[in-house]
Amino acid sequence: MLRRLQSRAFWLGLIFGLAGILVLMKLPAFLDAYAAQSNKIVLAGDSALTARAKPLLKGDFPISATIPPLRAAPTREDLHARGASSIIALSQARDGLHVTVYAQDPSNAQATDLRRDLLPLNLQLRTHLAERQVHALIQIPVTVRSVSEKFGTVAQANAARVIAYMLLVLLYVLIIINSQLIMSSVAEEKTSRIAELLVASVRPSSLLAGKVAASVTLAVVQMIVWVAAAYAFGMQASPIPTHSGDNDVAFSLNGISPADVAGFVVFFILGFLQMATLFAAMGSLINRTEDLGSVSGPLFIPVIAAFFIALTALEVPDSPGIVACSFVPLIAPFVMFARIVVTSVPLWQVALSFAINAAAIWGIALLGGKIYRIGMLLYGRPPRLGQILHLLRG
Amino acid sequence: MLEAHALRKEFGSVVAVRDVSFRIEDGSTFGLLGPNGAGKTTTMRMLLDIYTPDGGSVTWNGRAISEGMRRRFGYLPEERGLYGKMKVRDHIVYFGRLHGLSDGDARTRTDSWIERLQLQEYAKRPCAELSKGNQQKVQVACAAVHDPVLLVLDEPFSGLDPLNADVLLATLNDLRRRGTSLILSSHQMWQLEQLCDRFCIITGGENRVGGTLAELRAAWPTRVIKVEPPTAALRAVLENVPRARPLPTENGALYYEVPASTELPQLLRTLVATDEVTRFDAMEPTLQEIYIHTVSQNAAAPARAGGSSD
Repeated sequence: MLRRLQSRAFWLGLIFGLAGILVLMKLPAFLDAYAAQSNKIVLAGDSALTARAKPLLKGDFPISATIPPLRAAPTREDLHARGASSIIALSQARDGLHVTVYAQDPSNAQATDLRRDLLPLNLQLRTHLAERQVHALIQIPVTVRSVSEKFGTVAQANAARVIAYMLLVLLYVLIIINSQLIMSSVAEEKTSRIAELLVASVRPSSLLAGKVAASVTLAVVQMIVWVAAAYAFGMQASPIPTHSGDNDVAFSLNGISPADVAGFVVFFILGFLQMATLFAAMGSLINRTEDLGSVSGPLFIPVIAAFFIALTALEVPDSPGIVACSFVPLIAPFVMFARIVVTSVPLWQVALSFAINAAAIWGIALLGGKIYRIGMLLYGRPPRLGQILHLLRG
Repeated sequence: MLEAHALRKEFGSVVAVRDVSFRIEDGSTFGLLGPNGAGKTTTMRMLLDIYTPDGGSVTWNGRAISEGMRRRFGYLPEERGLYGKMKVRDHIVYFGRLHGLSDGDARTRTDSWIERLQLQEYAKRPCAELSKGNQQKVQVACAAVHDPVLLVLDEPFSGLDPLNADVLLATLNDLRRRGTSLILSSHQMWQLEQLCDRFCIITGGENRVGGTLAELRAAWPTRVIKVEPPTAALRAVLENVPRARPLPTENGALYYEVPASTELPQLLRTLVATDEVTRFDAMEPTLQEIYIHTVSQNAAAPARAGGSSD
């Protein structure tokens, strides 16, 4: 562990990870501000009409100027001259409000938003009702009542989903990075021929266990530093917009309970132990560091599959397929954690998943230990699967 | 005392070690000889419990090798390696710690080994920057830093220049004087002759001969007699020895191979009686001759031993 802790790779990883988190936390707000700055919209039309439309549009459209009605369709140069990405031209006809959008990028015209935002104005023009009456007509009271034991409000549920998503990404990144590191460390010991000196000093199983334990310890340290940094940076970040628009979520840990955090840590450790042991064992079969990629590739498949299944679990946590996946070793650490955060998972399911995955670690450690013991002293042509199975039986 | 009894190890269909037995007394030095692929490395790995024997047993003072005992052993494998980026001193300390030394103890002993092997100027340099010979000295220090009761060295002299070989030879003699039991394999017979108390020659995964050099020589069936000058009278005396065989004459001397049972004092008296003899040598076989004879005698024996591990 000391070697790893003193290694440049660990500190670079930690620092670049922190920098990455800072960028990820600040990037949405920065991009929003940048988009608002570069996406200037000019509102054209009769001054009385634009004065009434502007407050309705301001939430979705950054209006930079209002101009009198257009005499002719503007050209691209006209938009450039005004520094605008589009001009929204309003006019009033007998059948109500007419809107024409002249946009440099027509795919960015947001017609649906325009219809929704300008609906009150159109109603007023068509029915000649007072603004207050129109508002009363279109404001249908909608109350969302949570029947979940997990969340009291929509905002809490959204916050939890966002945090779960971030933690899943973190889990994925940590497992991928650290498993790869442990594999290359084992391969380095083998290719540099120091392996035999090591296994003469310490039992291969102890050596493997020590490597995995050191790796999991450092990964937990990395995780704590990164989560703390994300939390600290997130406290200052702008709210994360949701699709509905009226339930924006600030990054906070309010949506996640201590039990969720405990679940994350427990299932992170379970997942990490399973993957790190497998990666280390397979690393012992490598004779040339160039073979690292070809050996590690197949091992990433369950990790990637688990990540995507977990993303689905955030949406449909109680579907039978997802529930089944939350017990399967290598996949469960991701899926069960996602379910824990977004739904009330029965305690027996958590306990069963934990038991199955803990037992799987034991099985993987036995198998990995055997592969490691044999692989560390196996030189020459890389062994075929049949040979490995034969040696394992022996 | 280390005792290997009827050791056997198979790798699939390949029998690397068929039947190897020997005994090493405390503080003695044991030479394990054999051609490439004879099963020496596999045998050493079984002694150190790196491989579990498929048959037979290894005991230290009558008890099976445990994790605790194994930590008191040291090993210098044939294929050597170091952590290239780790500094020399840290490397030796690390192996001391792996063998159960406290941090302080490991550092103290490391400094002593660095001095003993004349590695002071490299102590703070990464191992990868050292020459092959100096890297080998670092590996010896790693294997012996914990003052092992048993040190197993597989081809310790290979790749060393004569100066470094001398340093290693002196170090091993020093360890021997301090009571460490040594097991060595080497193809440099003269170095083994200087170091070892007992030998075992294995071929085809089986031990063929074993014992002290005197015992091996005693079991040797012939002796070579050197007589000067090469006169007809002296030649006639030698021709009369039963089953004597003339060897090519070299540097003005007669060489004859005679049975080991030949009465040499009687032969010398007969030669002196000719009044012509100026020099008489009864030459005993060297370890190298015994080795070559044993290996070539057993070359025809079925030897499926070997494989990737030795």
